[in-house]
Amino acid sequence: MTQLDRQGTSDPVAVPFTPGMRDNPEELALIPDEIAREHVVPPSDDPTPTEQFTEQWRNASYNCFSSGHKFCREVCPVTQVTRNESWTPTAFHANVVAMDKGELTIEDVAADYVNCTQCGACELRCPNSLFTGDFYRFRTRTVDVVKAVRAFAVDSGVHQPQWRTWNARTDERTHEPVLGDTPVSQDHVRDWSEGLDIPIGGETVLFVDCEAAFYRTSVPRAVAQVLQLAGYEFGLMGEQWCCGGPAAEMGYVDQAKRFAQHNLDNWRSTGTRRVLVLDPHDYISFTEDYPKYFGDDYDIEVVLVVELFAQLIREGRLTPSVPIERSITYHDPCRLNKRKGIWKEPREILRAIPGLDFKDVDRVTQWSYCSGGGGGLPVEKPDLTAAISANRIQKASALEVDTLVSACPWSERPLGEAGRSESIDVVDIHELLAESLGIVVGGSRGGADGADPSRVETANDEPVGKRGE
Amino acid sequence: MTLVAERLDELVTALRTVLRDEQILTSKPDRYNRARVPAPFPVHRWSERLPDLAVLPTSTEEVAGVVRIANELRVPVVPSDGGTGLTDGAVPLHGGIVLDVKRMNQIKELDLENRTVTVGTGINMLKLNEELARHGLFYPDDPASYPCSLVGGRIGTSGWSLIGARYGHTRDLVLSFDHVLPTGEVMHVGDGIGRKISKSSSGYQLKHLFMGHQGTLGVATEATLKLYPKPEAELSPFWAFDNYDDAYRCVGALARAGVATFAGAVLFDEWKVAYLRRDDEAYIPQPADVRALVCAVLYGYEDEVRVGGKRLFRIAKEHGARYLGDEISEGDWAARHDRYATPLHGRTKAGQVVPMSWHCEDAAVNYTNLPAVSKAWHEIVADLRRRTDVFDDWGMFAYTSADTGVDYLTEIDVGIWEQQLDDRAWEMWVKAKRDIAAVAIAHQGSISACHGSCREGEVDLVPEELGRGYGVMLDLKRTLDPNNIMNPGKYLLDQAYDGSQR
Ligand SMILES: Cc1cc2nc3c(=O)[nH]c(=O)nc-3n(C[C@H](O)[C@H](O)[C@H](O)COP(=O)(O)OP(=O)(O)OC[C@H]3O[C@@H](n4cnc5c(N)ncnc54)[C@H](O)[C@@H]3O)c2cc1C
Ligand code: SF4
Ligand code: SF4
Repeated sequence: MTQLDRQGTSDPVAVPFTPGMRDNPEELALIPDEIAREHVVPPSDDPTPTEQFTEQWRNASYNCFSSGHKFCREVCPVTQVTRNESWTPTAFHANVVAMDKGELTIEDVAADYVNCTQCGACELRCPNSLFTGDFYRFRTRTVDVVKAVRAFAVDSGVHQPQWRTWNARTDERTHEPVLGDTPVSQDHVRDWSEGLDIPIGGETVLFVDCEAAFYRTSVPRAVAQVLQLAGYEFGLMGEQWCCGGPAAEMGYVDQAKRFAQHNLDNWRSTGTRRVLVLDPHDYISFTEDYPKYFGDDYDIEVVLVVELFAQLIREGRLTPSVPIERSITYHDPCRLNKRKGIWKEPREILRAIPGLDFKDVDRVTQWSYCSGGGGGLPVEKPDLTAAISANRIQKASALEVDTLVSACPWSERPLGEAGRSESIDVVDIHELLAESLGIVVGGSRGGADGADPSRVETANDEPVGKRGE
Repeated sequence: MTLVAERLDELVTALRTVLRDEQILTSKPDRYNRARVPAPFPVHRWSERLPDLAVLPTSTEEVAGVVRIANELRVPVVPSDGGTGLTDGAVPLHGGIVLDVKRMNQIKELDLENRTVTVGTGINMLKLNEELARHGLFYPDDPASYPCSLVGGRIGTSGWSLIGARYGHTRDLVLSFDHVLPTGEVMHVGDGIGRKISKSSSGYQLKHLFMGHQGTLGVATEATLKLYPKPEAELSPFWAFDNYDDAYRCVGALARAGVATFAGAVLFDEWKVAYLRRDDEAYIPQPADVRALVCAVLYGYEDEVRVGGKRLFRIAKEHGARYLGDEISEGDWAARHDRYATPLHGRTKAGQVVPMSWHCEDAAVNYTNLPAVSKAWHEIVADLRRRTDVFDDWGMFAYTSADTGVDYLTEIDVGIWEQQLDDRAWEMWVKAKRDIAAVAIAHQGSISACHGSCREGEVDLVPEELGRGYGVMLDLKRTLDPNNIMNPGKYLLDQAYDGSQR
């Protein structure tokens, strides 16, 4: 009956063994190989740009290609609404393998890579990250692969029309053209703070992303006033430029680096050591991109406002007391929940606000939720963003809530638009907290609804959404 | 790719009469990404598997329209759903149209009284169960590809479910479906003509014929499925053994016990345990004397699972089992879907980590033949490994298929270092597959319990396995698909057309 005959065999391959164990017989390493070459691809003296690119991304892509099991598919927000196999995490890796094999070129594939919000869901869901990743210190890196292919496309002169224009205008204006034809500029980047009397510079500055600074100005107003209420000292940047993150996400890496350098220099010039961030996208830029650009020189402490507020509530320095009679659910912004593992603090804040009827959906279920606003998708494919937002709003709608709370300004425009038809109000968590602290926020929520009408300065602008969750 | 440019234009023009432009995909990456499934393939010959285009229909009418046009123009149609099939069923062998039904993923009707749900065949089981959970129900088709395979592919392969011993497999769980025949006609097939009938004696029993055909007989578009109450309790004990023989005797006794809540049992052999030690710290850290594992799973109400579980624990104890504890048991069963295809586990014999693809060779084997089959299979893979590190032995599982323990899905997992594949290595592999299939047949088994047997190597032996039955397959294929439109080349069915090769 027995399965193997251990006795009498001198052949080490005939019995079960775990390769790499210290006490394995030496012969195992000495058996000549009929097929395997030393180098999977022989090194070249004069590699083409494609070869240089695939050399760097070959194994990361192959680790997905060789599995190819698509456990990630149903969590991918783009795949959920398009169900197009060419726009899946699997395809984003397989294309690189095909480029490595000389089957496809960057010209062939570049446009497909638009279809990713860089939400990170696929990485979390992938068994290669989930189960063995810790042990091998390995993680499926779809977001990095997508960013790298986009950058390679731009380097190769393959542009997506809307992205090219968007980044050219950002370069010209030092801010993203979030107001469509209404120009944004350095002269107006602090307009949102009118009447709040915030100093310039100082050890701690509040960085306000383009969408919040020009479009949803109620968010920075809420944040600034809550900080003032708690007696937390901060200033605004001397000359704030876009963080550069969106350019990096769309492949315009040189521009992104120039912007980053400007911001860092500006912080240095005002003696700034700490940057408060209210936007998850900036948080990614400052905690992932900037350290990559500047290495050890980068000595700025980055503080996420949502985490700070949760802490201030915990310490009793903020006590929300004005009841807010809303039935809400919370949207985990992808860049907080999926990319940074931050999901607890926003819930802490919401639980501290009296009057709320909070129907929570756990963070793992929310891996498959997204607003569609990230990764430059709305710039190039606004319809797709709208479909993803509609999908997200439907989930909220099924819970029979009247309000969806987010913590990411970039998500709030597309979600707000999708929410209108379902009568779901989309509110920022900082706005909600401020309200419960008795603050009259002011500013604009971008759309015509919900905001203080006296302050709706941008209500008539074309909705030109961009990133977000 | 088989069509010349003018014919391709003609085809696209015709397809535009039934589909919107956005549903017709012709770019190179669109085609490359539909030329492969998870199973390793001769990646150096990728371009040989390309379709000419892919279509994304959203209704039965659109599917029928596409198939009708293809039949008129004599262009191959390859149905594709999740694209997770491990016998390359959804891979085009002669170009043509990949017809992807993934957009047909709506829930059409939920019948709480008769306990059925009617869905588009592009829906995923996990997603379906998220909806059903709100009603306390579930659809228990539970392959290890549960998060990624879709209902249409389950029908196309007549899939195998991990908990099939309790709830049945895909063929038992799909009550009926709409099916587009190779000529483009639409038929409803089930037990009799009823949509929600589980047992009929009227006429030929056609449902089985239109499941597991790997897309060679048409396309299932909308299916009515059987539902169960979501189980209140799940018990999944794992036991360790210091030798294979005890584990083997134990799994047999567990399966034969006739416990009503018994949903399945799995035997891990010594190679599998050695394989899992590759990431010991991440997996089950176990002492060296653990050489085999058995797990069983029970589903049902709290009280019945408790009693059934007690009986199984007693049986395990009698067979020298050591219980691994609740934490490992629950965690490992919950993760059973995901522990596959881990390229990070690929190793050369000397221990170098190299990225490898997972190849799963499966057969249906009677209980009494398990040891002999697994011995012979490991020898075949050892021969490969002696020659090259392109191949790696990732061990074997044997899973119960039925509630009586009569037969087991027997699988050997082989790691393949695709980056190193060339024609010689591929030939070695095809021969090994043929040998593996031959062992199953020699032991009165079937070449495949779940994936199907379409791939190079194994497929050569299908006529031998089925005997006269294979001749009937040829006759049926010719009758139902007069122009050999549907997934040509699979199962050697081109023979049905008088040697007129495509
Ligand atoms: C990690 C992993 C684990 C797996 N575990 C299991 C397991 O436990 N049990 C098991 O049975 N399988 C398993 N498989 C194999 C695979 O998931 C199944 O064969 C599954 O049924 C395929 O479904 P799919 O939707 O991916 O189909 P596809 O791969 O798209 O198609 C499979 C076949 O069905 C045909 N087909 C597709 N759609 C239709 C349709 N609408 N009408 C008619 N024919 C159609 C295709 O032409 C093809 O021949 C596993 C695969 C992986 C990657
Ligand atoms: S990203 Fe991970 S889950 Fe998705 S196909 Fe690749 S390996 Fe599989
Ligand atoms: S990062 Fe998000 S959008 Fe991009 S492929 Fe992964 S799951 Fe899809």
